[in-house]
Amino acid sequence: MNRISKNRVAVCIFTLPALLVFTVVVIYPISTTFYRSFFKWDGIGEAEFIFIKNFKNLLQDDIFYTSLKNGLVFAAVLVVLQIGIGTILALAVSDNSLKGKKVLRTAYFIPVVLSITVVCQLWLQMYDADNGLINKIFEKIGISYRQNWLTDKSTAILAIAVVNAWQYMGYHFTLLYAAIKSIPEHFYEAARIDGATRIKAHLHITLPLILETYKFCLTFAVAGGLNAYANMLIMTNGGPGTDTYTLTFMSFRAAFQTNEFGYGCAVAVVLVIESLLATLVINRLVARERITY
Amino acid sequence: MNIISKTNKLEKQNIFFKIFLWIYFVISLYPIVWMAFYSLKNNDEIFITNPFGFPTHFRVENYLSATKTFNIPVYFFNSIIVSFFTVVGTIAISLLFSYAAARMEWKLKNVARIYMIMGLFIPISVILIPLSKLLRDMHISNTYLAMIIPYIAMNMSFAVLVFYGFLRSIPFELEESAYIDGANVYRTFYSIIVPIIKPAIATVVIFIFLQAWNEFTFAYTLISNQSIKTLPLGLLFFQGKYTTDWGAMGACMTIASFPMVIIYLVFSEQVERAMTVGSAVKG
Repeated sequence: MNRISKNRVAVCIFTLPALLVFTVVVIYPISTTFYRSFFKWDGIGEAEFIFIKNFKNLLQDDIFYTSLKNGLVFAAVLVVLQIGIGTILALAVSDNSLKGKKVLRTAYFIPVVLSITVVCQLWLQMYDADNGLINKIFEKIGISYRQNWLTDKSTAILAIAVVNAWQYMGYHFTLLYAAIKSIPEHFYEAARIDGATRIKAHLHITLPLILETYKFCLTFAVAGGLNAYANMLIMTNGGPGTDTYTLTFMSFRAAFQTNEFGYGCAVAVVLVIESLLATLVINRLVARERITY
Repeated sequence: MNIISKTNKLEKQNIFFKIFLWIYFVISLYPIVWMAFYSLKNNDEIFITNPFGFPTHFRVENYLSATKTFNIPVYFFNSIIVSFFTVVGTIAISLLFSYAAARMEWKLKNVARIYMIMGLFIPISVILIPLSKLLRDMHISNTYLAMIIPYIAMNMSFAVLVFYGFLRSIPFELEESAYIDGANVYRTFYSIIVPIIKPAIATVVIFIFLQAWNEFTFAYTLISNQSIKTLPLGLLFFQGKYTTDWGAMGACMTIASFPMVIIYLVFSEQVERAMTVGSAVKG
C-alpha cells in the first residue's frame, strides 16, 4: 500500500500538467507584469530600464486619480447596494412563514447567470435617453425627469456601478441566505421569550453570527469594484472623456492602445497592491468587530 | 393593550418586508422580461405604442434576422466549443492533481496545493498584458486555444479547492483494499475514486461552464477574428457598428441568455451551490 501511494512516477504524471499550465499561464505573466513595470517598453522593441519612473509618472497623471476614485466609488456602490439589499432580502426570505420563497430566490439569482455583455447592453437600452425603460417609467408616472444617465459626468460612474450591483446582488443574497439558514433555531428562542422584535433579534443574533460570510461578501464586492473593467468598456468605453476609467481600464488602454506596455504593467501593479491592502483592511475590520460580540 | 399594539407592529413590519421582497422581485426580473418582450416587437411598438407590456403580435422575423444578419449560430457554436474544452481540460488536469495532493505521499504536496490555490486571489488584470504577448509568441492568438488554455489555467484553482476538500473526506481504506486486490494507482484512481467523486465533479462542471460561457475580458482582449468569437463578444452591438434594430438585438440577447437561464432553472440548487462553494474557503 505505502509503496503504491508513494509511486513517484504517478505523482509526476498526476501533478505536472496542472503545475505546468498554471505556472506558464498565471505565475509567469504575473512576474512579468511586476518586472516590466520598471521598464519603458512598447511590448515589441527594445526595453529600457527606468526603475520607478513609471510609478512617478503615474502620480502626475490625472487619469490615474480619476481611475483610482472611480474604483473606490464603484466598490462603495457595490458594497452598499449588494450587501445592503442582499441582507434585507435574505433576512426577509428566511422568515419561515413566508410563501413563494423558491420563486423569489430564483428571481434574485437569475441575473447572475447572464453574460455581462447581455446585461450591459440591456441596461444601455434601459438608460437610453429617448426610448429607455427608465426614462419611460418616469414619463409614465408624470415626472419630467429625463436624464442622459451615461453621458452625464456626475452620474455616469454611478449608473455603471448600479448595473453591476443589479447583476450580482443575487450572488450575495444567496451567500447570506445560506449563512442565515445554517443558524440553529434555538438561538432565537431566548430572544422570543424576552419579547424582542424580529429586527432586534436579527441585529443582535443573526448578523454577528454570519460575520464570516460578510467578510467574504465584502472582499468580493470590493475586489469587484476595484477591478471593474468590462462594465465600462461595454457601456461607455471610459467616457464621457476619461470620466469612467478604472485602473484596469487605464492599464489595458496603455498596454493595448497606446503601446505603453511598461506603463500599463505599472498600473496593474498598483491595482494589485490596492486590492491586497483592501483585503487586509477588511480582515482587520471584521475580525475586530467579532471580538466585541 | 400592550400585546395588541405589539402584534400590530409586527404585522406592519411583516408587510413592509413582504412588499420590499416583491418590489425587488420585479426589479430583478422585469428588465429581463422586458428584453424578452421587445425581442418580439418592432421599433414602433418598443418606442411608442407598447414599451412595457406583452407584445401585441409576435414578430418572429427578429429571430430570423438574429440568426442570419447577426451570425448568432456561429458565436453560439464557438461558445459551446470553448466552454466544452475548458470544462473537460480543467476537470481532467485538476482532478489528477488533487488526487496526488490529497491521497498520495510526496514531499512538498502542501506547498504545491497552496501554490495552485493562489490563483483564486489573483486579479486577471495582472496576468492579461504579458499573457497576450505570450500567446502571440506561441502563435496561438486568435485561435480557440487562446481562450481555452487561459480559461483552464484560471479555473484550475477553484477546481483543485473543491476536489481536494472532497477527496480528503473519503476513507483511505477504499484504496487500500483495491491495492491489496492488485490494482495499480492509475486503475484505482479511475475505477474507485472517479465514480465516488462524481457529485463534486458535477458542481465543478456547472461552475466552470458558466464561467467559460460568460467570460468576457480575456476573450475581448485576445480574440479579434470574427469566426471564432464567442457569444459575449459577438453580442457587442454598441461597439463598432451601431444598430437601431432593437427587436433583432433583443432576439440575439434572448437566444444567448436562454441556455444559461434554462440550466439555472433546471439545476438551481446545484448552480447556487457551485457558485457559492468557494466562499467557505476563499474568505
